Amino acid sequence: MRSLIAMGVGWLVYCPLAVAAPDFETQVIPVLTKSGCNSGACHGAAIGRGGFRLSLLGYDPDLDYETMLRDLQGRRVNLVKPEKSLLLRKPTRDLAHEGGHKLAAGGDGYKLVRDWIAAGAPRETRRTLQSVEITPTTKTLPAAGEKFALKVIARYKDGATEDVTPWAVFTPTDTAALRINAEGEVMSLRRGQSAVMVRFLGEVGSVSVTVPLADEPVKGGRPRTNYIDDHVNRALDQLRLPHSPCASEETLVRRLYIDLIGTLPEPREVDDFVNDKSTDKRAKLVERLMQRPEFADFWALKWGDLLRIDSKRLQPEGAMAFHQWVRDQVVRNTPLDRMAREMILTLGDGHAVGPVNFSRIPGDAGNHAEHVSQVFLGVRLQCANCHNHPLDRWTQDDYHGLAAVFSKLSRGRSIALQAKGEVIHPKTGKSAVPRIPGVEFLTGDGDPREKFTDWLTSAENPYFARAAVNRLWRELMGRGLVEPIDDHRSTNPATHPELLQALAKDFVEHRFDVRHTIRTIVASEAYQRSSLAAGANKSDDRFYSRALLRPLPPAVMVDAVAKVTGVAEKLGNRPTGERAIALMDARVESTPLDLLGRCVRDNSCTPSLVGAGSLPLALHKINGPWLHDKIVSAQGKLHQSLANRKTDEEIVASFYETALGRKPSAKERAHWKTKLAADTPEERIGKFEDFLWALLNSTEFACNH
Amino acid sequence: MRRCDGINRREFLRVGSLSALGLSLSDAFRLRALAQAGKKMPRCILIWLDGGPSHLDMFDLKPSAPEEVRGPFKPTDTKVPGFQICEYFQNLAAHTGKLCLIRSMTSELGEHNFGAHYLLTGYKPSPVLDYPSYGSVISHTRSGKPLLPSYIAVPGFSPYAANGYLPAACRPFAVGGDPSKAEFEVRDLEGQAGVTTSRLERRREFLGDLDRLSREIEESGPRQERDAHFEQAYRLILSPEAKKAFDLGQEKQEVRQRYGHRTIGQSCLLARRLIEAGCPFVTVTDSTWDHHANVFRTLKEGYAGGTDGKMIHLDKALSALLGDLDERGLLKETLVVVMGEFGRTPKLNTSAGRDHWPRAFSVLLAGGGVKGGQVVGKSDARGESPADRPVTPTDLAKTIYTLLGIDPDLELKTADNRPVQVNAGGNVVTECLA
Repeated sequence: MRSLIAMGVGWLVYCPLAVAAPDFETQVIPVLTKSGCNSGACHGAAIGRGGFRLSLLGYDPDLDYETMLRDLQGRRVNLVKPEKSLLLRKPTRDLAHEGGHKLAAGGDGYKLVRDWIAAGAPRETRRTLQSVEITPTTKTLPAAGEKFALKVIARYKDGATEDVTPWAVFTPTDTAALRINAEGEVMSLRRGQSAVMVRFLGEVGSVSVTVPLADEPVKGGRPRTNYIDDHVNRALDQLRLPHSPCASEETLVRRLYIDLIGTLPEPREVDDFVNDKSTDKRAKLVERLMQRPEFADFWALKWGDLLRIDSKRLQPEGAMAFHQWVRDQVVRNTPLDRMAREMILTLGDGHAVGPVNFSRIPGDAGNHAEHVSQVFLGVRLQCANCHNHPLDRWTQDDYHGLAAVFSKLSRGRSIALQAKGEVIHPKTGKSAVPRIPGVEFLTGDGDPREKFTDWLTSAENPYFARAAVNRLWRELMGRGLVEPIDDHRSTNPATHPELLQALAKDFVEHRFDVRHTIRTIVASEAYQRSSLAAGANKSDDRFYSRALLRPLPPAVMVDAVAKVTGVAEKLGNRPTGERAIALMDARVESTPLDLLGRCVRDNSCTPSLVGAGSLPLALHKINGPWLHDKIVSAQGKLHQSLANRKTDEEIVASFYETALGRKPSAKERAHWKTKLAADTPEERIGKFEDFLWALLNSTEFACNH
Repeated sequence: MRRCDGINRREFLRVGSLSALGLSLSDAFRLRALAQAGKKMPRCILIWLDGGPSHLDMFDLKPSAPEEVRGPFKPTDTKVPGFQICEYFQNLAAHTGKLCLIRSMTSELGEHNFGAHYLLTGYKPSPVLDYPSYGSVISHTRSGKPLLPSYIAVPGFSPYAANGYLPAACRPFAVGGDPSKAEFEVRDLEGQAGVTTSRLERRREFLGDLDRLSREIEESGPRQERDAHFEQAYRLILSPEAKKAFDLGQEKQEVRQRYGHRTIGQSCLLARRLIEAGCPFVTVTDSTWDHHANVFRTLKEGYAGGTDGKMIHLDKALSALLGDLDERGLLKETLVVVMGEFGRTPKLNTSAGRDHWPRAFSVLLAGGGVKGGQVVGKSDARGESPADRPVTPTDLAKTIYTLLGIDPDLELKTADNRPVQVNAGGNVVTECLA
């Protein structure tokens, strides 16, 4: 009661004043955020702290106002004596505060909150934030220890602007690389590239800071074939990072075969390429590879991992229908926007109609929203289920709104549109309104999925193309421009933001033509570099100064072993000879595939950059039947060659050619001639078996280099 | 079985893929020397209850709290006066003299991945660095050429119980399979007929030749990683003694029965065998402790009317382990830790379950260097917050490292040469130390 009266008095005092009271949403809450009060570790935790709960990073001003003003009979906010408010006394440590000293008494933040209380703690919203401008967004500093200042300008919907640098929250992604004070002054601590996340209210952004890795610029030019090289080279110049020369032709052929069709080249194919003297031979090879059935198999496998095609969830009929459909789209090079449309919108029987199965993967509308945003937007929406995303712009309205888009779908073998179905918004307790995340509510009649899909696949949607080209880049270059691949957000900047943008623009301009983007990437000099270090670029794993050494993907490795040994791998109950890259399902039994780390498709795994293995894999390679049975098989290539009286030199050369895609060097030939010399046929067999085993375990064989 | 978030092994945070090479050589030597300077190096068995066990129903009962908090279980007196645990820890009650129970654990990370990372490494997760877990740090600081891998996981491990920024050689060796099954064996320990030891050696030699002669490949992360795994694999394969440590068939039936026939029991027995054979760190991972529904039935009965609950099996396994280690004289040099990623909500939910609750929970310590027979800290009347002596996972980590003879201030190095302390900002819970 007293607080109500006090409030009335407050209004009277406040109204005649010329100076406006601080605005609750855009001035008071930022003070709380800057001081850390509403962070997840303090009062912003779902359960609050010390009986005081604020919304995480101030995403829910109504809740915050309620808890500050109404709880504890107005003790938190004392309108009569503002200085006596717990809201001020606790964080200044005037009273015991478990969270420690958070606000300087008499400081700017303190004054804002006090003035707001003195003005009667008004709730009404005076202005709404439109955008935040951070300058600079990229900065190159000459050396560690150098500093620069960040500036954050808020733009409000009424046109007003304000320097909010003191109230923005700055977080370096790596505290060992950058230090930043509360006023926005950034100091670099080490060479390399790092970033600072910036947040003001719901708006977030990031600033990329580069300190060159060397004192002197790299001498000589940088090779270029297309726009990709412009961007990659610019970053290399900034970092003063030397680049490795172009890989040998043999290496390039092998690399293209593995990346495009998941298959080792035949020795004859390598020879043909090397002997071809035409200038466009590389482009022609790429075209030929994209016409091969293995191209369809291999890229359908990648799609299957991303889409989680699974015979348990979809039944074998559904998984087969989906796999076949995806493979057909790869063969036809269906534009990605059309593929997405069909997957999202098609209704019917999943066992008969392939793309329907996309909607059969998620178990409910919420999962559906997460799956769609992860696959097509490259965004993890999960956080926004329970609270607004702390690191991005996504809100609970976005999450539950997108879930509502899919709320009327029946979820069974058939997907149909029902008359009823809703998603309850946890904040309002009411039915969530369908919404295009970050854009608009879909209030009109009709199936909201249509409007959502129109937006998703429109040329203006910044997310769709970016997510797609980033995945393609990763498949071909070994690392996404944004990592993790499905975590695009303004606080997780790309290593080459302009390159990502350029690739996305190019993809849209070519009407979502996947093959066009593949062609463009593999044509770049960045793709064709050697994996061998050139001086100071040995530890580079993200600026493409050299090719990354990548372990063969599990399915490719299993197929490659079968090919080199000439003995097929038996995969579960699949017909002998069926290749691992052609499997429609990750449930087909295979110990080597498991130990190599295949994607099990039970949750949103993207084919990961598997390490070079584990102890169980090493044991299996040494003792297991996978390699052994093929090496000793009488029908296998080794024993056939030995039986057919091939010379030692011929056998060695032939295995080098199939496994490594190159001929042995003179040194290698001489070495093996001595090492494999044997007195008896048994000794010869043993030595050659051991040679083949070693070849299958060599780094050059097991990696795409 | 999955946890509620559906996430099993997803690596939610990643460092640059090829950059996990870890220490420089000189560091490794320094560490080894440091390790050798100590006398008997302590060992550790960590029993990880994945999902987050309910502190209120197992270790920190609140008989005077309202019904929706206290649940149906009653506390029972134990061997140590005043040291009460749940009545269904019938066997463990006889071993409280060995136990140090921390009831005032507190964390703010109530999500499985974050919580598991925090508890298993002592660090909150960071977007730029994956931290190594206890076993990996031990394995890193005590290299040498042991027959057994230095960090073994029975049967598998949480993704956060891994090597983090340390080299892949410090990753735990997961034995796989289910130790409670009659046909259980560790895969691929035995060789193929005809491939003799000398041929195994020749294969290794040829492999080295191939890599060395290649002009296409240079010394690199993937190669070092492969070499480390092959080296360990060879040590294991070529030692009959090491292989025997994995063979539960060597144990008498009475011993196997003592540990209980469930996976957790036989896993604890295997852990004891491995510790006895010289492995310094074994993690036993028991899954499905994420009891959002029917927490009491799951803990006590397993199925309606049964006597097959998770707590019953833990009781048997843990009591057998503590007793067995003690009888063999191993307990004084073997630290036993029992924990999960957080506790569970004091107030029951509508499915008779409890949700995630990191603000107050319990952790058990026993054995090597631990002062048993005591409860450290306490939670408030409803088990919501620490009422006294809050202990963070960072404090716990510093305590565990201290108990294991590892200097918590020791600086390890990441692949790009960044120094990172084994523990940062923790305080040793000195009451726990004997």
